[in-house]
Amino acid sequence: MSADIVTAPAEVTSNRVPRRAGRSSRVNRTRFSTWAYIAPAFLLYGLFVIIPALHTVYISLFNWDGVTLATWAGFGNYESVFTSEALRGAIEHALVLILFFAGLPILLGLVLTAVLSRFRRPGMSLFRVIFFLPQIVPLVAVGITWRWMYNEDGAVNQILRAIGLGGITRAWLGDFNLALFAVGLIGTWALTGLCTMLFVSGAQKVEPNLYEAARLDGAGAIREFRAVTLPALRGEIAVALTVTTIAALASFDVIYVSTNGSPGNTTTVPGLLVYRLAFTDGQVGQASALAVTLTVLILIVVLIINRLVDAKDEQ
Amino acid sequence: MSSFFRREIRMRRRLVIVGAGFALLLAGCSSLTPGSSASTSSTPSTSSAAVSATTSTGGAVASSGAVGSGSGVAAVTTAVPADKVELKLAFTDSPDMTKALIAAFEKKFPQVTITSQYTQFNDYVKSLKLAMSSDSAPDLAQYNAAFGTFVAGGLIRDLTPYEQAYGWDKSFPKSALDELRVDPTGKILGTGALIAVPGGLSLVGVYYNKQLMTKAGITSPPTTLTEMEADLAKAKTAGITPVSVGSLDTGGLHVWASVMNVSTDVPALKNWINGKAGSSIVTPAAIAATQKFADWAKKGYFPASANGTSENDSATAFAKGASLFLINGNWAAAQLDKAMGANVGFMVMPPATAGGKAVGNGFSVSYSISAKSKHPEAAAAFLNFLQSPEASVIEDAGGFLPPNASAAPAATGVKGDLKKANQAVVSADGLIPFPDFAAPAMLDSLESGLQSVIAGREQPQDFLQSLQTVWTAYHGS
Repeated sequence: MSADIVTAPAEVTSNRVPRRAGRSSRVNRTRFSTWAYIAPAFLLYGLFVIIPALHTVYISLFNWDGVTLATWAGFGNYESVFTSEALRGAIEHALVLILFFAGLPILLGLVLTAVLSRFRRPGMSLFRVIFFLPQIVPLVAVGITWRWMYNEDGAVNQILRAIGLGGITRAWLGDFNLALFAVGLIGTWALTGLCTMLFVSGAQKVEPNLYEAARLDGAGAIREFRAVTLPALRGEIAVALTVTTIAALASFDVIYVSTNGSPGNTTTVPGLLVYRLAFTDGQVGQASALAVTLTVLILIVVLIINRLVDAKDEQ
Repeated sequence: MSSFFRREIRMRRRLVIVGAGFALLLAGCSSLTPGSSASTSSTPSTSSAAVSATTSTGGAVASSGAVGSGSGVAAVTTAVPADKVELKLAFTDSPDMTKALIAAFEKKFPQVTITSQYTQFNDYVKSLKLAMSSDSAPDLAQYNAAFGTFVAGGLIRDLTPYEQAYGWDKSFPKSALDELRVDPTGKILGTGALIAVPGGLSLVGVYYNKQLMTKAGITSPPTTLTEMEADLAKAKTAGITPVSVGSLDTGGLHVWASVMNVSTDVPALKNWINGKAGSSIVTPAAIAATQKFADWAKKGYFPASANGTSENDSATAFAKGASLFLINGNWAAAQLDKAMGANVGFMVMPPATAGGKAVGNGFSVSYSISAKSKHPEAAAAFLNFLQSPEASVIEDAGGFLPPNASAAPAATGVKGDLKKANQAVVSADGLIPFPDFAAPAMLDSLESGLQSVIAGREQPQDFLQSLQTVWTAYHGS
């Protein structure tokens, strides 16, 4: 539907010279009604998304503490964004988080899907609900809960002690080498359900007789998954990859409530720096510049992901 | 799906053009400069600041507001207007205490009604930034370190004339009032206009577990830092964790700052925290103090999990008997009193030499008057009420130390210890602001830096240098 709306004005311009007089008014009417259809959504979107976004870009060109009169900064804020060492660390951490927010959940999601789709039983939807549950819990609650679980005497260490691994217990979020991985695993926990749900519903589109054929040909579980399920899930994987990569690069809430960047600065992420700049350091201009840069970075990564998927499409 | 994205990109290109148009429009309209609403809405001559205008005319309220205009030597009155007055008070801490204070004040001055607006801490500063610059600004607002920017924006009334009229310099502790003075730029604390008045003080000191003390063979609480170090060693030998530390957030800060307070020159330290030009934290004494803190961590005086434990959790651990000492504020007293009863004691951080000055980090829950308030006399009467005996009882019950230290109700146990410590610090003028007040970005640097020092990943000098870098970025060298 959106395709019609988008392409309609282009058609109109190409037919600027009407072949028949009667057509012109119809075209005009089409043009009017096209805009009329777009208008409500466009107005709302413009008012609450586009204008605020542009306003952010605008603010990023000023030195502003959030209260007093701002002074023009030009691209000075962007300069400090690109020379900031703290930001480089934060971007590195975000890239590591992609592994935990996108890589692991997709991998785990595929494994779960393979299991769930091979052994179809009544009550499948129950499993989907169970796997999807982490998505329903607000991320702030997730972060606080995991902060407790990673405590010295938290659930994680209790389990480790119970299975005889008492030697490796520690306050996980306080460990300079492991805190980032610990935080990343929170993301894995939260996003695996989303990926699984996407994949399971994708796998359900597959004609059951395809599986039957594969089995008749003597394919085992792994072969069957690789030959039948995986190709059918290409679109879902692309969606999952896009969504989870954005979640990793734009992560803020889980980090903010679980470690706030600690220990040292080993778990800082760009989103956290934006928040700190704007709301504690009173450098709203620089925060906006960083937010704009982060948005552009995310758009580039998403574009790359889509290009990769496209390239495969054309093969 | 992929084609969907391609279409999106095409759409986006069009939007960019539309967007460029918007941006031009915005740029053309100069009143859209961020922050212009804050300064245009205050009175014409005060685009600089209400507070700065006042200080320049020598303590008279000459700026916006309703009080005496014209001559510039307007005397303020301590008389509460007899007419019915309605005040709005915005706050974020201790709802019960605030409401009790308001009720007691309204009882004393029935013609004044105070409506309170509670905002959760995380949103308080953000929402207040908007509220204070709006025409419906609250008359009274609970002070917060971020108010510095409000001062530069001319949104807060200079209380110095009221201080003189009421004689607050005598009825409130000097060090507590000094923490609430700020220069016209809003950046340098401890000097200049008084912008808030305290309704309850906080104080950081040392809690000790009496049973564990006996168990470790310690006969009495330490009276010097050297004695305290000896006690830490004794506890360690006896298999007791010497100090509970929760440095995942602010817990490490209290320990480090307490060592700094008793080991370095207090006026110089205060100057640095207040932002006085030319101050530096990278001094030999500060390096030695930080080294001591690092050594404590290295010797295992802190729990191995310190960096993964929050300040709250460290207090809970201490309450359960996990350690000999806990360096924390009066806010933990109620919880510890309940859990440990007569087993817990409190003292100020032991001084470097016997008989040294009683010092400790502390701040206050305090209130400012908006520059836009139409009833500053009534609002000032509320501020004055904060040191009255009636208010002191309410503040004490709210878990704070009343600014009128002598009016605090008698107490026993750890609360009695706190009262004694507070009186000692107030009479020695030894209240020191928290070090993170030095600059807005300081707290994050302190927390992450101390985590690194505890883990032995950063040398004391490098840590202090990193703090100085943040300081210089905000204050200039």
